[in-house]
Amino acid sequence: MGDLFGNLQLGFSVALGWQNLALCFVGCLVGTLIGVLPGVGPIATIAILLPVTFKLDPAGALIMLAGIFYGAQYGGSTTAILVNIPGEATSVVTTLDGHQMARQGRAGVALGIAALGSFFAGTVTTVIVAALGGPLTALALLFGPAEYFSLMVMGLVFAVVLARGSLLKALAMVLTGLLLSTVGTDLESGQARMTLGLEALIDGIDFAVLAMGVFGFAEILRNVETPESRDVVRGEIGPLLPDRADLRRSAWPVVRGTLVGALLGILPGNGAVLGPFASYTLEKRLARDPRRFGRGAIEGVAGPESANNAGAQASFIPLLTLGIPPNAVMALMVGAMTIHGIIPGPQVMTKNPDLFWGMVASMWIGNAMLLVINLPLVGVWVRLLKVPYRLMFPAILLFCCIGIYSINNNVMDVALAAFFGGVGYVLIKLGFEPAPMLLGFVLGRLMEEKLRQALILSRGSFATFVERPVSLGLLLAAAAMLAIAVVPAIRRGRDDVFTE
Amino acid sequence: MTPAEGGSGDEPGAPLSDRASRDVAAGLVLVAVALFALWAGADLPLGTLSAMGAGMLPRSLAVLVGLFGVAIAASGWLSAGEGLGRWSLRGPFFILGSVVVFAATVRSLGLAFAGPLSMLVGCLASHETRWGEAALFSVALTAFCIVLFRSLLGLPIPIAWFL
Repeated sequence: MGDLFGNLQLGFSVALGWQNLALCFVGCLVGTLIGVLPGVGPIATIAILLPVTFKLDPAGALIMLAGIFYGAQYGGSTTAILVNIPGEATSVVTTLDGHQMARQGRAGVALGIAALGSFFAGTVTTVIVAALGGPLTALALLFGPAEYFSLMVMGLVFAVVLARGSLLKALAMVLTGLLLSTVGTDLESGQARMTLGLEALIDGIDFAVLAMGVFGFAEILRNVETPESRDVVRGEIGPLLPDRADLRRSAWPVVRGTLVGALLGILPGNGAVLGPFASYTLEKRLARDPRRFGRGAIEGVAGPESANNAGAQASFIPLLTLGIPPNAVMALMVGAMTIHGIIPGPQVMTKNPDLFWGMVASMWIGNAMLLVINLPLVGVWVRLLKVPYRLMFPAILLFCCIGIYSINNNVMDVALAAFFGGVGYVLIKLGFEPAPMLLGFVLGRLMEEKLRQALILSRGSFATFVERPVSLGLLLAAAAMLAIAVVPAIRRGRDDVFTE
Repeated sequence: MTPAEGGSGDEPGAPLSDRASRDVAAGLVLVAVALFALWAGADLPLGTLSAMGAGMLPRSLAVLVGLFGVAIAASGWLSAGEGLGRWSLRGPFFILGSVVVFAATVRSLGLAFAGPLSMLVGCLASHETRWGEAALFSVALTAFCIVLFRSLLGLPIPIAWFL
């Protein structure tokens, strides 16, 4: 325990440097801004700002990027409450009761409880990240290639189970992502694979380019197509601070939401997206009068909002301890780390303790900053939300173009992102979800490396994956999750969670 | 809905109009992707399981993607489901076009010109665009981007060909 406090002390000494404080503030502010604006997500923003971080020191760069990520979770809820559209995918559930509260003139209380709940969740999760960092890192050092491979298989299966709609399609998307990741030079033999003779593909497809195309541009395409209807709350925002009765009602939902969100967030395969749904369902089940939900129940805001913040922060755990990015934002973090010569994984904690603990400490500072900057700025966000989409999308386009160009100062990257934008549009139209594909792509290279290593060690026998107990356990867990998702009754339940 | 209508969904060979044409198309697209990958990686050596060649994984993945494609297309053919839905051409054409315009002009003309140009091409995608407003906004935003990205953040992006 004393070790933990010593480490946190080191972390705070790094995070409290004036430069890192400023970067943390900028990250949180930018994150909130893009969280508020629907149609601009943290993925596109981090990709745009990636080149800017080249010149910073690694700790500062990661502190800022992390701030953008969890800041966006804060901002997303503001839009969900005030406009009834989720600013971010994770704040979908907040629209249900949050916007109802706003209609009843209690927008301020909804925003206030969302901020307080998120702050609580952020604080607890910071401690969880700090406490789990050591043990998980020790565990990761015991992992051989076979265990790593099986762990990633489990992550991908989990992503498939979490995807909406057809399992078959989600599985196909994961495989397509893995296939895309094999494009480029083969690391072992040096052969160019499926590059079609294009120089731009020799180093493989840049993740930022793919993500920007499939998430950034495709999102604009979809939004321009559907005519916009925004229902910005016009009336009073009302008082920001919840009263005693509100606090009493929200206290337990916040605690439960934090635990649910943090638990799901730790899992590889982007469990964090499920957090708010799980928390909402849980609160509704536990409520004495479930009919209040959907009509402005404060528990329906407090729980999911805490869960989404906890999940966002907990998703750093697989990245920092195992070196496995659980979602697209974390994959961009990998990019930011490798640019500075840091390979994410268990060795980060021993080789760069200042970076690891500095980032953990900055999360808590960032959460405190968000609490302070978010509430007074509500008026600004409301005005910003009145900017029509016809002006917003050309602006987003330009920012995205400048961002992609700046990553490698290469116009081919920009053209390639446009191509993937088209691909993303077709995928959405055909009912495919792009998220599993992106995760497949993210894990593809590492999986291939580990698969090859494992098979070299076992002299070509696949039995190695089931003979080693840890690997077998992970694969069984993956199989169980898949089996559960196929069972019709649970399948229906899963659809309910998503449609609620 | 009458019972007769409700029952038709699960019978094989549903009426053509009821078939999940979206899934059929989705499956065929995957098959095409798989065939393309097999063709593009045809020259790569497979190797053996204990010493995998560069082509082993791409080819196995391509085959799997193809099989999933066949399965999705077949299930779409045999059951009722969503149709292809409405596809618009104007949005994708001008928005992706605007990105291509940016790629084509940022080196030769510089951001000062590529910015407004690509934004205005993008504006063609929406029928809500008001042109006076869009022109002014594109120039103002480009100026803002030049100050932000070039002057403040120091990214080496070309501003104009004569600078």
